Amino acid sequence: MKFRLPAETYDSEPPPILGSWRNLYIAVLVWLAVVIAVCYAFTRYFA
Amino acid sequence: MTTLDWIVMIATMIAIPGFGLWRGRGGKTTSHYLLAGKTMPWYAMGLSIMATQASAITFIATPGQAYVDGMRFVQFYFGLPIAMVLLAMTAVPIFHRAGVYTAYEYLERRFDAKTRALAGIVFLISRGMAVGLALYAPAIVMSVIFGWPDRLTTLIIGIVCVFYTTMGGIPAVTWTDVLQMTIIFAGLILALITVISLMPHGVSFTDAVYLAGAVGKLNAVDTKLDWDNRYNLWSGLLGSTFLMLGYFGCDQSQVQRYLTGKSVAQSKLSIMFNAVAKVPMQFFILFVGAMVFVFYLFAQPPMLFQQTAMKTIAKQPAYTSVQSKYDDAWSKRERAARALNVARQRDDKAALNASIADFRTAQREIETARQTGIQLYEKSAHESGFNDTNYIFLTFVTRYFPAGVIGLVIAVIMNAAMSSSSGELNSLAAVSVMDLYRRLFRPDETDRHYLIVSRICTAIWGTWAVLFAQYAKNLGSLVEAINQVGSYFYPVLLGVFILAFFFPRVRGSAAFWAMLTGEAVIVACAVFTHIAFLWYNVIGALAVVIAGWLLSIAAGEPPSHVLHVPAISPRIDTGAV
Repeated sequence: MKFRLPAETYDSEPPPILGSWRNLYIAVLVWLAVVIAVCYAFTRYFA
Repeated sequence: MTTLDWIVMIATMIAIPGFGLWRGRGGKTTSHYLLAGKTMPWYAMGLSIMATQASAITFIATPGQAYVDGMRFVQFYFGLPIAMVLLAMTAVPIFHRAGVYTAYEYLERRFDAKTRALAGIVFLISRGMAVGLALYAPAIVMSVIFGWPDRLTTLIIGIVCVFYTTMGGIPAVTWTDVLQMTIIFAGLILALITVISLMPHGVSFTDAVYLAGAVGKLNAVDTKLDWDNRYNLWSGLLGSTFLMLGYFGCDQSQVQRYLTGKSVAQSKLSIMFNAVAKVPMQFFILFVGAMVFVFYLFAQPPMLFQQTAMKTIAKQPAYTSVQSKYDDAWSKRERAARALNVARQRDDKAALNASIADFRTAQREIETARQTGIQLYEKSAHESGFNDTNYIFLTFVTRYFPAGVIGLVIAVIMNAAMSSSSGELNSLAAVSVMDLYRRLFRPDETDRHYLIVSRICTAIWGTWAVLFAQYAKNLGSLVEAINQVGSYFYPVLLGVFILAFFFPRVRGSAAFWAMLTGEAVIVACAVFTHIAFLWYNVIGALAVVIAGWLLSIAAGEPPSHVLHVPAISPRIDTGAV
């Protein structure tokens, strides 16, 4: 069984910030982690 | 509603679609009508994606959900950023570069015509049933709150929405969505400022947050793994990721938004915008609901927020006693809340702990008293599963918000109903014309012919939506079933796109039968198990992938090295405007 991304997914144009799409995706996932951490802290603090 | 409220509401309902039609003017091709000639910037697509997902009920019911159940609903959106990143890496560039009008058109290139047709029909059934609800749900709430006739309300919202969608196509829909989301953001911020300003003297913003947290209304994250619990961190991260992958990656109403982008990069940025903004936005809406809860600690709320239900129980002999117990419970809770606030401000630890315990006891008592009222209604109306969450926020708005702001909030709800419906109508027309009409019946007509048919299909689906909304009240519990319809169909669509992108071995027949197998598994889960519906998205998608993989092995077909065959449809004219 092979997993591979089709050729159409290769990036030709970089995003306007952070230099590459890979960096932007990582930044978005870090943002999600921060949001969840803040929500968790919010829950714990006010409970 | 005052005259000022009416002016604000009517002006907003006319001006916003007018702006959308003006910005989207000039196109005379099918590409312009269905894909905006691929000219849209990321921020317009991003706001349109958000507007299409956020229906009127999002803004009516979500604050009420926080009032009743706290903020744990926010976890439902934790999977969205993950799904958006995965889609930006796969579906967005694949669909964009394939030059397709619909996501299902791609399935024919990858698999075969029957898989494309099945996916298109699955979409038309699921979205076609839901589109009328987007008009019906806010109308029924406003009929109860304001006494407006629900059929007239759905008719007015529906006519405005169908008019600008039919005339302007996706450019008008997208630019209307941009302005509608701007109004929605403004309305939400104004709602929070207003509710905080309405807090009684001596209760600051931090006091209000503390009081909400003391009785668990700020329970944004629940880390306990419970398969029957609809909203926890794990169902949010896993179940919701699959649901969002299915919705944003396989539902044409969303795919069509990012197919309008100037470039792949612009389309990716539009969904990255949603990945960043959506969870905070939902948190904000829920937080407004938590603040409404705090407000009602100091101003007595009705026992039931649905006025017709209150009128029903008021006729019952047991009503006086039930209402009296509720009044006593509220008074006790108010005293406990004030005592807690004073203890907190004095920083008296012993008094604080005692006050928290009293406050929580009082909260449980008022919840019990309210539950007794609900049971009384269910018994007298011969109903079960009564839920007045949808009425909480609007009841608060109409009773306490100043003139003008009420009109703005109603305009927000009307606009949200139109923005979600218009996107759905546009996508239903695209699938009807491109995946069925052109593919199966009239493949060689002129572009002008398909443009006219697209407009006619939009009007037909719009008429269907309005008619559905007119008679939805008579459908009873079927409406609730339709509301959850996405979790029954999206997993199958998601599964077949996973097969298309990542499993070169799988061919058309295996994919087709895998979709049917996946649907059977979901139906079995719904009928024979108590698994929360969010998990259907994981189970159904995995069932399709496993079935497709096994069927392809059984068929003995070698792996395909050419995943993407040449285009079947004529190339899309990207320079239309």
